[in-house]
Amino acid sequence: MIVEGNDLLPGSPDAIWDLLMDPDVLAKAMPGTRSLERVAPDRYEGVMRVGIGPITAAEFELTIALSEVQRPERYAMHIDSKGKFGFTRGLARVELVPGETGTVMRYSADLQVGGKIAALGQRLLESVSKLMLRQGLAALQQELQSRLGGTAA
Amino acid sequence: MKPSRFAYYRPDSVEEALALLAEHDDAKPLAGGQSLIPAMNFRLAAPAALVDLGALSGLRGVSRAGDGLRIGAMTTHATVERSPEVARIAPLLAEALPHVAHPQIRNRGTLGGSLAHADPAAELPAVMLALEAELVLRSVQAERRVAARDFFTGLFATALEPGELVTAIELAALPARTGVAFEEFARRHGDFALVGVAAVVTLDASGRCGEVRIALLSVGDGPVLAERAAAALRGQQPNPELLRDAAELAGDEDIDPPADLHASAAYRRQLARVLTRRALIRAVERARV
Repeated sequence: MIVEGNDLLPGSPDAIWDLLMDPDVLAKAMPGTRSLERVAPDRYEGVMRVGIGPITAAEFELTIALSEVQRPERYAMHIDSKGKFGFTRGLARVELVPGETGTVMRYSADLQVGGKIAALGQRLLESVSKLMLRQGLAALQQELQSRLGGTAA
Repeated sequence: MKPSRFAYYRPDSVEEALALLAEHDDAKPLAGGQSLIPAMNFRLAAPAALVDLGALSGLRGVSRAGDGLRIGAMTTHATVERSPEVARIAPLLAEALPHVAHPQIRNRGTLGGSLAHADPAAELPAVMLALEAELVLRSVQAERRVAARDFFTGLFATALEPGELVTAIELAALPARTGVAFEEFARRHGDFALVGVAAVVTLDASGRCGEVRIALLSVGDGPVLAERAAAALRGQQPNPELLRDAAELAGDEDIDPPADLHASAAYRRQLARVLTRRALIRAVERARV
């Protein structure tokens, strides 16, 4: 499954970069994240709980490893999550491009979902990922605005 | 597969059921159990308690309400499907029901349960949207009415508050010169539809389209009203080209369908165009009779 898009964020690439590396901000951008810690400069670990409709609180252990880090332009995240109900793994690329009124964040992720959740919920995977992406981006916008005091266009 | 442990209550009155739901934070109401029980058996859902609504006979049955119908939330699909009143007053619902899963499931599954579950591939939410149904919701505090348009709020998400139950569904009688049609495509009959369409068309005295409502299922987070397609028809004399153009709009502009193993987004758009055109042709034919 491929998820991609772009979003205008308030602030300069440098300021946004620092916040995107902050585990508290990153956790906001991933709905359902219960805890997220930066265990090494390029590695985060945490726990996510995802519940949609009839599915109550499937818990996943989450690991994110950064690579190809070129501050403040681009980085890649290797995402690995597993739980009782299945797993997700994949690679997400983030690119920050300075714009006139802020910074454009371009993102693309190629994710594989497997296990019970994929077998039973296959028809819903894309809708659920789109929903989580929308919620995550909205939360990220809000967090960046409150921290940078800017306004999004 | 077996569910994890849960407490089980089978109240005798709606008041008692509402009190139980208010008391237990993690309780789920059990209607027909055709989605909840499989989810529990796969352990995808693990409510601490179930409040079985099966003994609430007051929530079952189809009755006349003015010119329209009131259907109790616990009325099974099979009962609604065989009701002569539904066939006469809400033929769209009668036409859609045979597409809902399989007879065994329709014998147990309920109208209220299906609407509260709000599966994006379910037929009944789209039918309720096309018919402008009103849902009667009740909690310990109050009873309120919510239009279908405001009830479905997202992926498996509804306007139901915690502790609130759907108790009935009310359908107004269709105006004169109104035709309806339901179309869907599934890989096998009874499977989740890849796309479905419910259409309601009212013609004015000169034969032009008046009110038009087209609701699609399995093309988004919930049922989707094809507003642009409907707007293209209002005030126009229906002819095959117009209906085709409106159906194209429905597939091209009114929806943003998801892709899965069974159908790509492009294929869902094409199905939406074709099924909407078929539904509109039949609805207009019926409105003319």
